[in-house]
Amino acid sequence: MINVHDKHKPLTFIEKTYLPAIVSGVLLTSRHFFVNLTRHILRAFGVKLKNMAAVTIQYPEFLRPLFPRLRTMHRLTRREDGTPRCVACMMCETVCPAKCIYIIADEKLENPQIEKMPRSFDIDLGLCVFCGYCVEACPEDAIRMDTGILEISNYTRNGMILDLETMLSLEPMSSRYVQYDRGGEVVSADYIDERHRSDA
Amino acid sequence: MVKVTIDGIEIEIPKGTTVIQAAEQAGIEIPRYCYHPGLSIVGVCRICLVEIERMPKLQVACYTPATEGMVVHTNTEQVLEARQAVMEFLLVNHPLDCPVCDQAGECWLQNFYMQHALHDSRMFENKVKKSKALQIGPNVMLDSERCILCSRCVRFCDEISKSNELGIFNRGDRAELQPYPGTELDNDYSGNTIDICPVGALTDRDFRFRTRVWYLSETESICPGCSTGCNINVHHNDQRTYKAGGSRVSRLKPRYNPDVNEWWMCDAGRYGFTHVDADSRILAPTRSIGEEQEMSWGEAASEIMTKLREVISVHGKESVGVILSPQMTNEDLFVARRFFRDGLGLKHIDFEVAPLTTGAKDDFLIKADKNPNTAGARLLGVGARQGSGMTVAEMLEAARKRKLRALYICHHDLANGFAVDVVEEALTAQDLVVFQGPNTNSTSALAHYVLPAAAFVEKTGSFTNYAERVQMIHTAVTPLGESKADWQIFRSLAKEAAISVPYFEAEDVFQALTAEVEAFSGLPYAGLAGQGIALRDGQALPESETVVA
Amino acid sequence: MTESIGIVLGKLAFVLLFVLNFGGVLTWVERKQSALMQDRIGANRAAIFGFRAIGLFHGIADAVKMFTKESFRPANAEKFIFTLAPAISVFFALIGFAVIPFGDKLLLGGTEINLQLAPLNVGVLYLFAVAGMAVYGVVLGAWASRNNYALLGGLRAAAQMISYEVALGVSIFGCIMIYQTVDLQEIVRWQGGYWGGWLPAWGVFLQPVGFILFLTVGIAETKRIPFDAPEGESEIIGYNLEYSGMGFGMFLLTDFIETVMIAAITVTLFFGGWQVPYLMPDGFHFPWGGTVELANWAVAILQVVSFTFKVIFFLWLQMTIRWTLPRFRYDQIMRLGWKYLLPISLANIVITGFLILMLK
Ligand code: SF4
Ligand code: SF4
Ligand code: SF4
Ligand code: SF4
Repeated sequence: MINVHDKHKPLTFIEKTYLPAIVSGVLLTSRHFFVNLTRHILRAFGVKLKNMAAVTIQYPEFLRPLFPRLRTMHRLTRREDGTPRCVACMMCETVCPAKCIYIIADEKLENPQIEKMPRSFDIDLGLCVFCGYCVEACPEDAIRMDTGILEISNYTRNGMILDLETMLSLEPMSSRYVQYDRGGEVVSADYIDERHRSDA
Repeated sequence: MVKVTIDGIEIEIPKGTTVIQAAEQAGIEIPRYCYHPGLSIVGVCRICLVEIERMPKLQVACYTPATEGMVVHTNTEQVLEARQAVMEFLLVNHPLDCPVCDQAGECWLQNFYMQHALHDSRMFENKVKKSKALQIGPNVMLDSERCILCSRCVRFCDEISKSNELGIFNRGDRAELQPYPGTELDNDYSGNTIDICPVGALTDRDFRFRTRVWYLSETESICPGCSTGCNINVHHNDQRTYKAGGSRVSRLKPRYNPDVNEWWMCDAGRYGFTHVDADSRILAPTRSIGEEQEMSWGEAASEIMTKLREVISVHGKESVGVILSPQMTNEDLFVARRFFRDGLGLKHIDFEVAPLTTGAKDDFLIKADKNPNTAGARLLGVGARQGSGMTVAEMLEAARKRKLRALYICHHDLANGFAVDVVEEALTAQDLVVFQGPNTNSTSALAHYVLPAAAFVEKTGSFTNYAERVQMIHTAVTPLGESKADWQIFRSLAKEAAISVPYFEAEDVFQALTAEVEAFSGLPYAGLAGQGIALRDGQALPESETVVA
Repeated sequence: MTESIGIVLGKLAFVLLFVLNFGGVLTWVERKQSALMQDRIGANRAAIFGFRAIGLFHGIADAVKMFTKESFRPANAEKFIFTLAPAISVFFALIGFAVIPFGDKLLLGGTEINLQLAPLNVGVLYLFAVAGMAVYGVVLGAWASRNNYALLGGLRAAAQMISYEVALGVSIFGCIMIYQTVDLQEIVRWQGGYWGGWLPAWGVFLQPVGFILFLTVGIAETKRIPFDAPEGESEIIGYNLEYSGMGFGMFLLTDFIETVMIAAITVTLFFGGWQVPYLMPDGFHFPWGGTVELANWAVAILQVVSFTFKVIFFLWLQMTIRWTLPRFRYDQIMRLGWKYLLPISLANIVITGFLILMLK
């Protein structure tokens, strides 16, 4: 026997009309409305306030700091000689749930110790779901999603496809923008200001 | 007969059976590397150790004959521990090449590591370096580091191909598989070493880095390379079509059939599938009178039939020659017979162009006749020798003299059997030349109409091999472009001519064939799949009888 | 008493401008109010010469966008009706305002101007009639689109609006029984009295249940959250699916005009319309004895302003509710309408009638 405990208390008649709940909801939202309205007006008159009237970050003038482990646009890492670390094992291609990685392998003629390398390596960001499985699956640490590039848009579908050269040329996001302490709190985040200045 | 008990299962087996074979019959899988049922037994890999009661130590299952009353355990702690130890030992110097190794995914080191070992490496020493990516033959690539020295390949070259190219040199951890100095692994069966190598030491140069094996699908088929009809699996890439330049068929692998090819196939057959994805494939029905122009099947069928009827009404039925091909399936040939012979009432039908005995042959698998269905064509009576019409040679001669006015040629490149100028003279003298086949060739270049036929991996049907064993091919990939199976092409022509060809599947054709053709009567369609059915108890015909040169 | 054409046109212009501007500004209010309620900033990007005017230009930008966008019409659509439907919607939403009184009488150079566009003595019935027509625009638009999703949305809209019209009518019977008139101007005048000499005799104090019912049903009639099952832009999509450009814009505008409409009727029926507490035609007469003499024109202006502010309050309230409550499911809407609102309205009539008899 399974005992199902109905955790919900039966509603009283007044509750059943939903009027108290509606009224308290309306009161809550109107409180926000009036408090924020007052703050906006005060700020417009130059009064400095401790609390902000809105939590909005004005993108693209301002950007949120990025956590280092955030998954952003892919890149391919390089060996010392600049060739891709990727050995075209196609693990990422296999694991990719969106089937958006297209690798064609080639013989690495100059170095039989490595043997294999990608001739072409395309990722169709139009299909990618940014799951990061490709990074997890890679046995060579050859693919990473740490470029910090989030603005991925294009006028054509083909423009959404990253190729080998592009991905090899990308760098990891600069750590000088954001620093975190061990608890994940932002220690310094001049990333916001950086972007703002360069845009202005 | 002796009685043995394996893991509690009691079975009766013929005397002399080894424990590993007995276990197989009992449905128990004992891991193995060096043991191969088609080769002699050496017992060098030691992975097949089992516990046999009243024997002090573990025994190798591959070498130990089962004796009366033997009680075998394959699953005791001691056995499992030993297996793990052997795996650890095999992996001591094994490189971590799986990402670049073509064997990954079908590698017995990977499989048995996952099943039986799962240990962490305890080695601190550097691994021994050996030669890598060594091309030891036209078809085979050797990576000595990956070799586990099971000697399967060595035994194959000694016992099956009898060409003795390979040996294991040096000792201890420097022991290394190599071809004998100054030789190459270059024999007619060298590809089989790749199949039997349990690891990625021997890999296929043709297949190298084309795709990964787990992207491939498998379809049972028959090698069309010669009249032996080796059983094969077609490995085709349906999932990642952008790989290897878009070629759909990635490789052919032999399929076990004790009555035909056992575990083997020849290299010519193994690598003889490139025409399937070649640029020379014909993609759409084409009219090449004056300007080349693609057309729809409907247009093509009605135009060809109109012209054919014209020729027949003006010059009579004797003025048309049909050249079928032993590359076509029984079904294709049967529908061709029904259409050309029974339907249109044509007389001059033949299928032999090149002499059937001139190809290379040996006394193992390779036959001189490079067609998979010569026996079928003969049994169906579509050759000049079985009827009363002209042979191909006579047809060409008649065509040159304009006694024949129309030729319908299937698959053949006539230049393979006749001088180029003879062919050219004959074909250019015709009012209508139709070519039907999967690929263009010098004959199709002279045809007025070119019709695309499906390649052997694109259709379902049956071949009759030299020993009159009927075996099935299955559709592995969809026909390229507009191409259709030959019998379907004949069906659409027959429709234009109002000749009934009431078949929708290859199976319908086959049922009609068994009902109508005596040699095939009573063949169950369902029984053809797998190992096929021999028409005459597997009795091979003497080669001379198949030869009709 | 006949008014000259000029005066009628003047009133017409006043009312139309009043309503349409409210409708337009509401698009801005909706964005900004919701933003404030949710600690956001809201639309603030549209700018003219770099001047952003707290997002006010978004209304203009929207209008420009609506007018310049392609007005797409599906190939199989019923051409004529498809084009007509949004206009029907807007039309019937607008003409309701003809009978709403926004002030008492203004004496201007000897002429007495009734601050109501059409002094109909069956004002309430007229309003019902007009409200009943509103469903046509929606259903015709949905049907003419020849799109199954739109048609389903139209069906939901029809079912909802017709169901709630019943409750709408019944919910104000109580008021009418008390006011004993269906002339809206008279209804407002009736509310000019006081109880105990100080409490304005507004309908809301006489008919609290009627007020709540009417407001609920009224919001449902505007087809906005929490009653937006007919539209459900984001998920279930509705009757205006195939509309784009100004066709869509007109449906949108209809919703806002209806919002203003409901606010205006609520004010008229329950909150004394243009009445300002203690303001008599000749000035203020406070219950504690003080008086302030005012000219007729000043009184009229005060009345119009009072009416406007009351309407603004109810617009705000409707917006707040719209941004507070989640959407009802279709079956919930139906159950609420037929099983709760209608019976309660009926009970309200019976009890009101009983009380009237008792107090006579
Ligand atoms: S992030 Fe996920 S979806 Fe995107 S490429 Fe990698 S595996 Fe594929
Ligand atoms: S998993 Fe890594 S090494 Fe393998 S193909 Fe992908 S990026 Fe290259
Ligand atoms: S032989 Fe097997 S285990 Fe060795 S590298 Fe190749 S796939 Fe990996
Ligand atoms: S190459 Fe392969 S088959 Fe030959 S000995 Fe080595 S592991 Fe065995």
